[in-house]
Amino acid sequence: MSDNLQFIVTGLTTGSVYALVGLGIVLVHQVTGIINFAQGDFVMLGALTFALFSEKGLALLPGVLVALAITVTVGALVERLAIAPARSATVERLIILTIGASITIQGITLVVVGTNPHFADPFSPGPPLRIGDVVVLRQYLWVFAVTAVAVLALWLFLTRTLTGKAMRAAATNPDAARIVAISPSRMSLLAFVLAALLGGVGGVVLAPLQAPSAGIGIALGLKGFTAAVLGGLDSPSGAVLGGLAIGVIESVAAGYLPSGYKDAIAFGLLFAVLLLRPQGLLRRTSAVRV
Amino acid sequence: MRTTVSTLRPYAVLVAVLLLVPPVFTRVPFFTMATAVQMGILAIATLGLVLLAGYAGQISIGQAAFYGIGAYASAILTTQAGLSPLLGLAVGALLCGLVGFVVGSFIFRVRGHYLALATLAFGLMMGNIARQLEITGGASGIVDIPRLAVGTWVVDGDLRYYYLVAAVLVVATVLGRNLVRSLFGRSLQALGDSEIAASSSGVDIARHKRAVFVVAAVLASVAGSLYAHWVTFVDYHTLDLLLSIQLLIMATVGGLRTVWGAPVGAFLVITLSQAAQELLPRLPTNVGGEFEIAVYGLALIVVLLFLPRGVAGGLMTLRRHRPSQEPGT
Repeated sequence: MSDNLQFIVTGLTTGSVYALVGLGIVLVHQVTGIINFAQGDFVMLGALTFALFSEKGLALLPGVLVALAITVTVGALVERLAIAPARSATVERLIILTIGASITIQGITLVVVGTNPHFADPFSPGPPLRIGDVVVLRQYLWVFAVTAVAVLALWLFLTRTLTGKAMRAAATNPDAARIVAISPSRMSLLAFVLAALLGGVGGVVLAPLQAPSAGIGIALGLKGFTAAVLGGLDSPSGAVLGGLAIGVIESVAAGYLPSGYKDAIAFGLLFAVLLLRPQGLLRRTSAVRV
Repeated sequence: MRTTVSTLRPYAVLVAVLLLVPPVFTRVPFFTMATAVQMGILAIATLGLVLLAGYAGQISIGQAAFYGIGAYASAILTTQAGLSPLLGLAVGALLCGLVGFVVGSFIFRVRGHYLALATLAFGLMMGNIARQLEITGGASGIVDIPRLAVGTWVVDGDLRYYYLVAAVLVVATVLGRNLVRSLFGRSLQALGDSEIAASSSGVDIARHKRAVFVVAAVLASVAGSLYAHWVTFVDYHTLDLLLSIQLLIMATVGGLRTVWGAPVGAFLVITLSQAAQELLPRLPTNVGGEFEIAVYGLALIVVLLFLPRGVAGGLMTLRRHRPSQEPGT
């Protein structure tokens, strides 16, 4: 029983990061209609730059800010250099473009940083906490807290600010939004910047738990897709719940099955949900996107 | 008779270029015949993707799964069931066609981005399964796969193997080009342009999508088998996500809407990645081994933004602007 509890706590931690990745994917998909295959690489950039600066001895807060600034800049560059010039391209081309952006980010990171993993200090030092039989690393609490704050902040931004409302308007009806002087191009840029920020935040809190290297973005991105698809691809809250669910499923599966099946289960789930319930697990009505 | 000549001319060019490869590649220090074999094998798999993603507009980020099924089928059938390599290749292709038929029967329930994710998930799942199963040799894979032989003549050495791969590529290109020029091919193109329009013109959407999915699967399988008998070893890395992406890049860089895009794309992308491997280590960095993907990515973005029809597609547009030329397909 305590084993199960331990798996769940660990799973919720990785699940929180998946939730942030999924949230970024949903945000970009809602506003631009694009699935951003580079989302996992935003997490990688946040984690890797934070770890690099941490190794160089930079303090926590400046390290976080620099890592986020770099990630957000890359997010904006991806949108301006690759996505914006091809707004009218077909779905296949846009998908291939974001894949191109993803492997370009990975490749440039490999050239600049190399293949080695880097190590970040935990946010607060000290021995792990013990709650009953469950071991909770202090960094887990940071992951939970930061994810909660990020999700809440995004929700407030989308529902309470004019820019956030404009973004939702552009997502719901781009033509009508344009009539009331909301620029879809600016909203697309904003969506990518926010997605990069969410990814970067996920990366920064993940860095002390998983020594990041240039290649970790692929797996994280794939888990993010699974999270987003479980929630129906258009639902921010669905993506958060999806991310947490995948984290827990993976962690429990890894506890009982040979470790190799962990990923097979996540991808099998993605495949099954896409084909059986493309509208996501939570939504009851089936909407057809034409 | 003029039509016959102008129909055959592109094939003559293809054969001439393929025959020019050995004398050039064995003399230019940059290239080897092994590179040429690799290009040929990947061009065959890319051809399938051109038909699927280019003509029919159905993206797949999971083609490595079929390449892997072909490679593993060849490996298992020849090392464990004692079949001859040629028979292994044929049975593998048949099996892959069957898997393609089953998967193609339900994967097209989704479209666009969802299809991209579904094929991606399918490819990753197959890769994970290949790594776990006992029959596929688990994580260590299968070794000592026999070389391809026609009767008692064993095709060994990169040069001989190249001629074999080139011959398969020519046959595949002829079949592919005939296919896209048939009624079936026209229907595929209509489907790729607008599903609603195609369906209201009487094109059976589901059947056509499934059929082209099977064709792409069989081509990927043949390429995978050729690869397995060439390197005489397969493991789960054969089904790597990077291969699916590489095939997609080759098809896009070469040209998605022309069968010539496959060989052109395979040549350009592998040449670029070789060039990157030669040049980048001279930069003062601590670079490992997979950095050439930056080159893939940049090539992809540049081609998509500035040459949306790909390099081969762009060249053909140039030709078409010359008067009195019959447009090629």
